[in-house]
This record gives sequence, C-alpha cells and structure tokens, in this order.
Amino acid sequence: MADTTWLTLAPAFLLGLTGLLVLYVDSIGHSTKGPIAVLSLLGSLGVAGVAIALPDVLGLGPAGWSFVSVTLLAMFALALFVEPGSQNRRLIAGLSTAGAVGALGVAAAFLFTFDGEPVNPFGDALVVDGMSLFFAVIVASVTAMVTVASYNYIAEHSYQAEYYALVLLAATGMTLMASANSLVTVFVALELASLPSYALVAFLKENKGSVEAGLKYFLVGALSSAVFAYGVSLVYGATGSLQLTAVQNAVTGEFTGMLGMGVVMVVGGIAFKTASVPFHFWAPEAYEGAPAPISAFLSSASKAAGFVIAFRVFTEAFLQVSESAGEFLVLGADWVLVFQILAVVTMTLGNLAAVTQDKVKRMLAYSSVGHAGYVLMSLAALSGGGATATAKIEAGQFVLAGGMMHLFVYGFMNTGAFLFIALAEYWDVGRTFEDFTGLGRQAPVASVAMTVFMFSLAGLPPFGGFLSKYLLFGATVNSGFVWLAAVAIVNSAVSLYYYSKLVKALWFDERPDDKKPLEISSRPTGLYAAVIFAAVVTTAMYGVFGPVSDAAVEAAAALL
Amino acid sequence: MAVDTTYYLILSAAVFCTGLFGILTRRNALLFLMSVELMLNAANINLVAFSQYYGNLTGQVFALFTMALAAAEVAVGIGIILVLYRNFEDVDVADAATMRW
Repeated sequence: MADTTWLTLAPAFLLGLTGLLVLYVDSIGHSTKGPIAVLSLLGSLGVAGVAIALPDVLGLGPAGWSFVSVTLLAMFALALFVEPGSQNRRLIAGLSTAGAVGALGVAAAFLFTFDGEPVNPFGDALVVDGMSLFFAVIVASVTAMVTVASYNYIAEHSYQAEYYALVLLAATGMTLMASANSLVTVFVALELASLPSYALVAFLKENKGSVEAGLKYFLVGALSSAVFAYGVSLVYGATGSLQLTAVQNAVTGEFTGMLGMGVVMVVGGIAFKTASVPFHFWAPEAYEGAPAPISAFLSSASKAAGFVIAFRVFTEAFLQVSESAGEFLVLGADWVLVFQILAVVTMTLGNLAAVTQDKVKRMLAYSSVGHAGYVLMSLAALSGGGATATAKIEAGQFVLAGGMMHLFVYGFMNTGAFLFIALAEYWDVGRTFEDFTGLGRQAPVASVAMTVFMFSLAGLPPFGGFLSKYLLFGATVNSGFVWLAAVAIVNSAVSLYYYSKLVKALWFDERPDDKKPLEISSRPTGLYAAVIFAAVVTTAMYGVFGPVSDAAVEAAAALL
Repeated sequence: MAVDTTYYLILSAAVFCTGLFGILTRRNALLFLMSVELMLNAANINLVAFSQYYGNLTGQVFALFTMALAAAEVAVGIGIILVLYRNFEDVDVADAATMRW
C-alpha cells in the first residue's frame, strides 16, 4: 500500500503548482507554443502509461501517478489557451485565482471533514491537523482576494507572471509554515514565504518608495532569519533534536542557559514575521512602500503564518504540562513573560503610532502592528487559568482559539482595508487623510466597504472584528489576565479614534480648497469584487462565527 | 583527537557577534549582506559541532539546508541592491530614506 499521507498537503501543493504553471504559461507565451504543447502531451501520456503499468515506481502509488499525469495534462490543455507574444494577463490572473480558490476549497473541505487525528506526511517533519488546515484556509482566502485585486492593480506593469508566481509561492510557504512540525521545516517554510515577499515588496522597481521598502524589509528579514537560525542551532545544541515534540522530551536540567538563549532568539524570528516589537520597524516602511495588494497579503497572510509557527513551536516544543503540580512548565526562558511584555509594548506602540499618522496606508500599517499585539495575548495568557492542570489546559485552548479567530477575521477585514487603499492608488487619489475627503460621494460602494473594515478593525458590533476581539479578550480574562485585557481594551478605544478619522474623512469632511477635485472615471472590476467580498464576509461573520470558532477550539485542543 | 564542543560554541559565538557588529555599524548594503552570511555560518558551525557531539545527522542536514537558503537569500538580496543602485545611485543603506524610519 503506497503512502498517500502527502495528499493531505494538497492545499500547499495546489498553490505551489499553480505558481509554476503561471510561469510555464508565461514562458510559452514568449515562444512558439507548438513544440512545447506536443512535448507536454507526450510527457503526460508517458507518465500516465507508467502509472498504469507500474504503479509502485518511486513509491508514488496510483494516486501520486494520477496526480502527476493530471498536472501534465493540464499543462498541455493550458498551452492551447496561450496566445504567443502576449502577456496573457487574463489567463494568468484567472489561473492564479483558480489555484488559490482551489486550495481554499480543499483546505476548507479537509477542515470540516477532519476526524481529529493528525496526519504526519514525510515522517514527523510536517503535520496536518486542525490548526494547519485552519490557517491554510486563512492564507488561501487572502491569496484569492489579492490575486483578484491584482488583476487591475498591476495591469500596466510588465513581469505579471512573475508577480503572480511569487504571490503563489509565498502562499505555499505560508501554508507549509502552518504544517511545519520541526524546527528545520519551520525555517525552510519561513524562508520560502519570505524570499518571494522581499521581491514582491520591491516589485515596482522604478518607484523609489517600493525599492526602499523592499530593501528595508529584506535587511530586517535577513537579520532576523539569521538570529532565528542561530537560535535553532542553540536549541539543537541543548536538546540534540529539532523535531518539536522530541525537543520537548529531550529537555533536561543540563544546558538551560543555552536553551534559554535559543528560545529568546526564536522569539526574535517570530517577532519579525508577525511584525511585533522588537522586529516591527520594517512593517510601516514595507507596508507603505509596497504595492497595496502586497501590503494586504503580507499584513494578513504572512502575519497569520508567523503566528501559527509561534503557536505550534511554543506549545509543542517549549511547554510541558505537569499533571501532578497542576501547572505548565515553561522550558528554556520564561517566554510567557516575554510574550506578556511584547504584547503590551506591541499593541501600545502600534496604536499610539497609528494615531499620529497623516498618511492612510501608514496608519493601517501601524494598526497592523497593534493587532499583532492583540494576538500575542494568546501566548502571553497561557500560564493562567485555574489551579488544576485540566483547568489550565481548557483556559489555554480557549485563549489560543481566540487568537486564531482574530487572525481569521483579520484576514478579511485587514485585506479588505488594504485593497481599498489599492483602489485609491489605482485612482491616484493620494495618500493622506485629506486626499480621501469626499470619496464617499464619488465611490459610495467602496467607501461603505471601507467603513465596515474600519469599524470592524476597531472592534465595533455588529461586525466580525467585534466577535473575535470579544472572544480573545474574554478568553484572556478567563485565564486570569484581567490587566492584559484591560490594556487591550484601552488600546482598542484609542484605535477607534484613528479608524473613525478615516471614516469621517470619507463621508463628512469638506475637501480642502487646495486639493484637486477627485476624478474617478473607472470602476475596476477585480478590485471592487475583492473589496466587496471582504466586506460581505466581515459583516456576515455572525452567521459563520459559531462553526469556525468550533474549528479553532478543536485546532487549539490538539496543541495542549 | 576530538576538539571539545565548547570551543566550537565559542568560535560560533564570536563569528555571530562579528556579523552582528557589522550589521550595526556598516552602511554599505553589500557589507550588510556579508555580515548576515557570517551570522548564518555561525549557526552552521554550531549545527555541525553539535551534530558530532550527539552523534546524529540532524544538525549536519540542517546545515546543508541553511547553506542553500543563504545562497537563495543572497540572490534575492543582490537583486534588491541592484534596483536600489539604479534608483538611488548608491548602495548606502541610509540613503534610501524617502520615508521616515
């Protein structure tokens, strides 16, 4: 019986293969397609023939072989649609969106039919469980919205296929981050997500802001990944293993100093990916300078992927549950305390900095730092909650699920908000709050959507952000961290100020006389579709919040 | 004759700190890249040394992955530094400051 557990990684495979297919379409667009089409047909028939004759070659089994030959056949079929000598914009954007939506569908189907038994494809290096599928859903939905919106946004640019391929490959990395079960795969997946992101931020290569943003993102990213790698090497030195549960089992009284250093450095790598203090300062630059759909992608999907690593690494490798003493043993450094400090500093710094901004995109960037602070509470509040081990585990699951739900809702409301900025950049509206005045009358539908995102990000009912913040803050209080939840609530109140400042600019403020009047001549379909979809999901969260948060609680239950 | 693992750890810490020092003091983007390479290779020294100490291959295999990733990272980095040079006519990190930090 051939091993087919790797099929559970289908969402990641779909995203990655679509990325490669996009490049393939582009390359045959540049050549005469005849020979390549014939070659792919012959190749797919050959592979199908091998599959029928010898199913066990290479250990792929019938499923694997049919997967390979279907892919090759699809490549042949695609070649028929390619127009030589053109960019094939429509085909490439459509293909990318289809790949992302397909990955979303598969991940959602796996998630809702998941039987609670984690699967370990490729040994113990990867794991597919409720949490990895949950985050695959988040990443794939953000990717789908971003590819749809990019169809209009990058219409005028060359290298479109490379753009979509990089987005899809970064999404593959993020999906794999959700499945990484060993510090090796964590590092490899992290880099697979980061390297395309650096290039994407600098995608507008004749725009100084974009290049500067790409440079800063790359410099901080390279530094933090080196710190992370060194931290991993120290953890390996202290325990002799890299697989997460093996690390946990191997922790002895020896080498505590080395393990502590390693844990702190791993926190550094994660802080970069989630845009938290102390590696947050790239975020405002990168989000402001990058093409707006890429800012949406990084601030939603990349952040979620960073957090899934944090959740898994810290609960699986650096936490032991002591039944007898009725408490959690935090291994290495006291990282729960570190996360408490980081959560408070991150959310306060993000929100206070957002208040003082006069550029809308930069305000959103700092608000994204603030939201990272809220989600950090789910690690910061892990050690509380009751006197017995069971009570602590239940409280811990609850607070982790709160963090996951916030990331889920955030994936829609924040992506939508940045895509509205993409729309404004498409219209060449300008960057400051004053430039946005009067947009409500010119583009009412998009402005209503933006109002929904702003109120939802602030955590006002009746939008999704209210529910997820309620769950997260409530769970924090439930764990006994009333002061932490109080800080978060004060911060939310502060955030309402700058979010409503934008709403006020959109609908109520008079346009200053020195600003040129708005001229909105076009309604880009892709951008509108993505923004409206995000707004609908953010609003309709009341209907689906129950089942989705059940999935989050189950996902958290697998960790503790 | 085997060298004690502690010495490797000291060596790697020294290499790591050299890299960190370079990052904090140099403004040339290419020197920054070299410093990051030093830091990654410090991790490699650790991994290989501990791999020998524990007698398993995990660390060595991871060191190979790290090398490949470091190479990929430099490729992307040099690409970005190239467009930096085209836009700002220099590879000074502090020159690219049209947005404030």
